[in-house]
Amino acid sequence: MLPHAEMVHWGFAAGILLVGLCLLAEAIVGQEVWRMRPWRRYLWPGIAFGMGVLLWPVMAFFTNSSIHMYAHGSWAEVLMLAGGAELGLVHGRLRSRWWRLTWPLAFAVTGIAFIVHEQNPWFFARSAFLHHLLGWTFLLGALVPLALAFRPRSAVLQASFALVIVTVSVMLFSDRDVAPVFGHLSPLAGPQHR
Amino acid sequence: MRRVLLVALVALAFPAAASAHATLRSTTPRFGHEIRQSPRTIRLDFDQHVKVLPGGVQVLNGAGKDFALPARAVGTDVVAGVKPLKLGAYTVRWRAISADSHVVSGVWTFGLRVPAPPVANAYGAGGPTKAEHLVRWLWFLGLALAIGALGFRVICLRGQVVPLALQRKLVVAAGLGVVVALQAGIAAFSLRSEDALQLPLGDFLYGDLSPMAATRFGHAFVVMTLGFAFVLALLYLSWLLDRSDLLVPAFALSLIFVGGLSWSGHDAVDAGSSWKTAIADWVHLAAASLWIGGLATMAGLLWFGAPELRRVAFTNFSKLATILIALVLAAGTYLSIVRLPHLHDLWTQGYGQVLLVKIGLVCFALLWGAFHKFVVLPALDRADTGFLTRIGRSLIGESLVGVAVLLVAAVLVDSKPPVQSSDQQSTQRGAAATLAP
Repeated sequence: MLPHAEMVHWGFAAGILLVGLCLLAEAIVGQEVWRMRPWRRYLWPGIAFGMGVLLWPVMAFFTNSSIHMYAHGSWAEVLMLAGGAELGLVHGRLRSRWWRLTWPLAFAVTGIAFIVHEQNPWFFARSAFLHHLLGWTFLLGALVPLALAFRPRSAVLQASFALVIVTVSVMLFSDRDVAPVFGHLSPLAGPQHR
Repeated sequence: MRRVLLVALVALAFPAAASAHATLRSTTPRFGHEIRQSPRTIRLDFDQHVKVLPGGVQVLNGAGKDFALPARAVGTDVVAGVKPLKLGAYTVRWRAISADSHVVSGVWTFGLRVPAPPVANAYGAGGPTKAEHLVRWLWFLGLALAIGALGFRVICLRGQVVPLALQRKLVVAAGLGVVVALQAGIAAFSLRSEDALQLPLGDFLYGDLSPMAATRFGHAFVVMTLGFAFVLALLYLSWLLDRSDLLVPAFALSLIFVGGLSWSGHDAVDAGSSWKTAIADWVHLAAASLWIGGLATMAGLLWFGAPELRRVAFTNFSKLATILIALVLAAGTYLSIVRLPHLHDLWTQGYGQVLLVKIGLVCFALLWGAFHKFVVLPALDRADTGFLTRIGRSLIGESLVGVAVLLVAAVLVDSKPPVQSSDQQSTQRGAAATLAP
């Protein structure tokens, strides 16, 4: 009944990639041009918020360990918070730019959750390696939205934010051992794991 | 930097052996199933190879006697022989080592010619603790705040020009209630699972919660989590777009999804329960949440935040509260009669004693409410500011009594009603009512 774990990972990776590409486009053409069509300003914050809502079923249905449940639950909450704050800002409901600090918070929580919920060491398997890499990318990458809260008009920071998110999506696409991205498991790797 | 890149590329190109920790795919006998014949073996099917620990599979009866023979690994399965079992309910506890050296563990129950008990009643489970009472109370508080704030806006302030600031505060209060309810639901599910698994925290974090998710409580947890997450999204959109019409579906869905607790509680699962008791419990819970939450919303947000709406809100809430109290009392009386058929059960049984405390508190709240309805309401038209301020404090006081009622209700829900004569027969038939020592 439930979709395979890699399908779920790829679905969210696609959503994150879309967010990253929107951000990249916004960084390249500039905020004024990007927001010439009103719906475009809501696009990536809306996708982020929607992914937060969709992470709740992931939390509730994948209960084969407590730690996975908590990790997915924390991602659902921070993604709804950060996406919701961004929607509030672009809509004009929220005015303080400090609401953008929800993004570094979301990155930090996500990074810690990735690292804590992966119980295997870095070189145990591709999924373990990528979980650690994702965790540290989020943790270190939190510095970018943090800086962006102080320098919101910096094109370099905007592009860096977009690229961090695109990078995360690529890692998430290749996160599962059965993912046909970056090659397949070697014959020595034992049974494939979702 | 080049070294890092090289390591990354190598790791991506040549993934190491095996993978993450083992996951249990299926079991024989299956989770929560009633079987007709004593099983010769217990089989656990994992998604990868695991190492078997000494005593890694236990098959325990209600007295804690272990019927399992030493387990062995067969491919990705773990198989343990079982001594002949007698009619009754059994708990299987298992532990194994994943290829990554981490211990994974879990528990499930089955019945031999009797219904399997819920996994929460597995042998060794200690039952609800004070932490569980506290979490249940927070759950009730969150639900009452969400349903009360929404109901107050949708019903009592219907057709009124509500100031935007108050409108947003009401939505934020409801959203806060939903967030508290979601967190409390996760905590309640975790505590229930932790009690069933009986594992130290480190192992519990990697414990398999699937059997708990397959119980009625687990289903209720899933449905309520998804439902209230959707309600939260609706509330957020209402706040963002200033769309008060979105509060109507949010209120309706909250009323529906709060029924998850009734669907998985005593009044739905214990012997003697029926669809009538489950519905009565839902009516009781929904009406009480709307009454207490609505009162707290009026006292905390409207009374001092929008004085111009005090009179109309008080009048409308008074009418609504009369209906709600009638529903609470009717459903509560019916459920008390079902649970405690003898009057002396009220003071001789632990469940009855907690119920007495709850009845006492409810009576106190009702007297306070009657004072508001029969004394304050007629005097409202000629009231001065000082009187209205004092009434605001009085409303806060009544709300706090309501909060205390919810605390006692949380203890009551976690308590076990006395076994009735018809239950005793079924218990003797299968010894399946509980496995807890």
